[in-house]
Amino acid sequence: MSQNLLILINLIPLLLKGAVVSVEVATSSLVIGLFIGLFVGLGRIYGSKVISWFAILYITVIRATPPIVSLFVLYFVISRYVNLPPLLAGILALGISSGAYQSEIMRSAIESVGQSQMLAARAVGMSRIQAITNIILPQAFRLAIPPWSNEAAQMLKNSSLVYALSIPEILRQAQYVSATTLKPFLAFGAAAVIYFILNFGINRGLDSLEKKVKIPAQESVYSISKSRTSLVS
Amino acid sequence: MEELIFLYTRYVPEFIEGTKTTLWLTGISLLVGFIIGLPIALARIYGGGWIRKLVIGYVEVFRGTPLLVQLFIIYYGLPEFGITLSQTASAIVSLGLNSAAYQAEYFRGAIQAIDSGQIIAARAVGMSHIKAIRYVVLPQAFRLVIPAWSNEAIGLLKASAVVFLIAMPDLMAKAKIIAGRYFSPIESYLAVAVAYILLVLFLSIFLSFVERRVKIPGLEIETAR
Amino acid sequence: MKAPIIKAEGIYKAYGEVEVLKGVSLNVNESEVVVIIGPSGTGKSTLLRCLNLLIKPDRGRIWLNDIEISAPYFNSNRVREQVGMVFQDFNLFNHLTALDNISIALRKVLHMKVAEAKERSLQELNNVNLLDKKDLYPSQLSGGQKQRVAIARALALDPQVMLFDEPTSALDPELIGEVLEAMKTLAEKGMTMIVVTHEMGFAREVANRIIFMEHGNIVEEGSPNEMFLHPQILRTREFLWKITELYGKHENK
Repeated sequence: MSQNLLILINLIPLLLKGAVVSVEVATSSLVIGLFIGLFVGLGRIYGSKVISWFAILYITVIRATPPIVSLFVLYFVISRYVNLPPLLAGILALGISSGAYQSEIMRSAIESVGQSQMLAARAVGMSRIQAITNIILPQAFRLAIPPWSNEAAQMLKNSSLVYALSIPEILRQAQYVSATTLKPFLAFGAAAVIYFILNFGINRGLDSLEKKVKIPAQESVYSISKSRTSLVS
Repeated sequence: MEELIFLYTRYVPEFIEGTKTTLWLTGISLLVGFIIGLPIALARIYGGGWIRKLVIGYVEVFRGTPLLVQLFIIYYGLPEFGITLSQTASAIVSLGLNSAAYQAEYFRGAIQAIDSGQIIAARAVGMSHIKAIRYVVLPQAFRLVIPAWSNEAIGLLKASAVVFLIAMPDLMAKAKIIAGRYFSPIESYLAVAVAYILLVLFLSIFLSFVERRVKIPGLEIETAR
Repeated sequence: MKAPIIKAEGIYKAYGEVEVLKGVSLNVNESEVVVIIGPSGTGKSTLLRCLNLLIKPDRGRIWLNDIEISAPYFNSNRVREQVGMVFQDFNLFNHLTALDNISIALRKVLHMKVAEAKERSLQELNNVNLLDKKDLYPSQLSGGQKQRVAIARALALDPQVMLFDEPTSALDPELIGEVLEAMKTLAEKGMTMIVVTHEMGFAREVANRIIFMEHGNIVEEGSPNEMFLHPQILRTREFLWKITELYGKHENK
């Protein structure tokens, strides 16, 4: 038992190094996905037929592909044309993938806000863009927080996939530790614990964000079921 | 483009093999997930004290950690305790346990969505609590859970792709092999991506069909929009 | 004779096969209160929404103060600074307080300075007697209060014309009174108003002219006396008879 404890103490710094990388990957791709998602989501609802069509194509293809497959395809495509280090290429690939899911979250939230808010905004003279920025998006943002926190948690889990690209995140480090200490259960178990704690932190953090920005006396109309693919189709 | 078509025609047998593996792996894991997931959902709703806590813990752990990590723990970690599972067994066990956690939550949602009045009415005609659940609640819950469950089936199909990392010969593994021989990773993985998209498409259509066949008019979960 | 403030000619609107407005023309003079009545789904709301260009008519022309606002490249946002609208479902901005609901258009559309906008908004809120509710959110207000805030919001832009689309239809009976009072005060101050409503008492008391619409056409129009006491067309008589039977008890106090 004490031998295990000793090993544990030694491997924790290594795993934490990996944890930093994992969090980096997760947050960066989440942010990239957010921008893409906003852009594509708005394009899908308010854009012309052509833009809308492209948006739907992008969303459908990404959502029908396993995350690891799209990671590989995007990673190799990006690497062929742009000279990026594997870490950034991986982040970009995950971000593009996340964008598809986040755009659906955006779309759902915007549709939940409802047409009548847009009508009212236009009726006091706002242009479409003003209405979207000042009236629709602030409300959509609140509605989107629960499914978005689901996506954030999912991104953390997806960050483990960059293991396959030899990026030194938690799982890679755990494997290294497992190989050198010959204690795989301990190594991977510890990795799992770290993931679990991070996941817990994300959920808690976003829950309190939701409470903070809540519109008084209004219920969150959006009911989500925390599905694997972070969205019930 | 022509290379893609060439790839397809030349490597058809590999693709078929990989697809078969992916499909039956998904199917069995889904089944395992169901067999474990339903009791878990029931335990969570109707169980008491420590059973409930245990079950909640199970669900939180398996949904709060990456599938890949679970896979590695089972394949690489268990042998430390003398439990050595083959790739196939490890894949099935980890996919199954993981899916069970998600399925349990869907079942729980569906069961809880059914009016408590249903149970009261069932008791009023003399059924025991267990009979009420079995003959009144569950049949309705099954109809309600189908959309979410279909989603899980598709999700599991996609999630299963990672098992190539423990050398399971699924579609992704074939892609890696082809990429090695053919020297062009982009085309190989793209081809596999297309294959997965087609699989997902067919599975979706099939599941929609089933959903429509078993539908009871008026019995739907209201997705608050 | 001054030109009518709003002039509409031959407004036609169809949704696919369904013809909602079949060539409606109408003139509204300054300070006139026009009430439009008629069965549901006959195009009254659509007509109103054409007047502030929320809906683009398929055919027909509209003038505001002799400026043709239905011209192809006319900036429709400017129209809504001159023509205010109050909706049946209030449509207050849910994420803003009552005060901010009013000031946001002043700041973002009229580009008023924050302090000035706030002062103006407080004034408007006071005019509808809701100053003490300024920091509450829509979900914390009653239906009647919400509608009064909506009226204040529309008035804050200092429009020339106010359009009311069944403003009391979504309200509990006891709350209808306060909204109608607010509208009456507005009329007395000389605002040009076009109101779609079922409230016959209001129509009789406040309207200068009543228009009866059905199936996308104007069937008959005239002063309240003419319409209620001597309706010329059978269909008008039928409708008014049924309506006053239903609502008559409300204003026979």
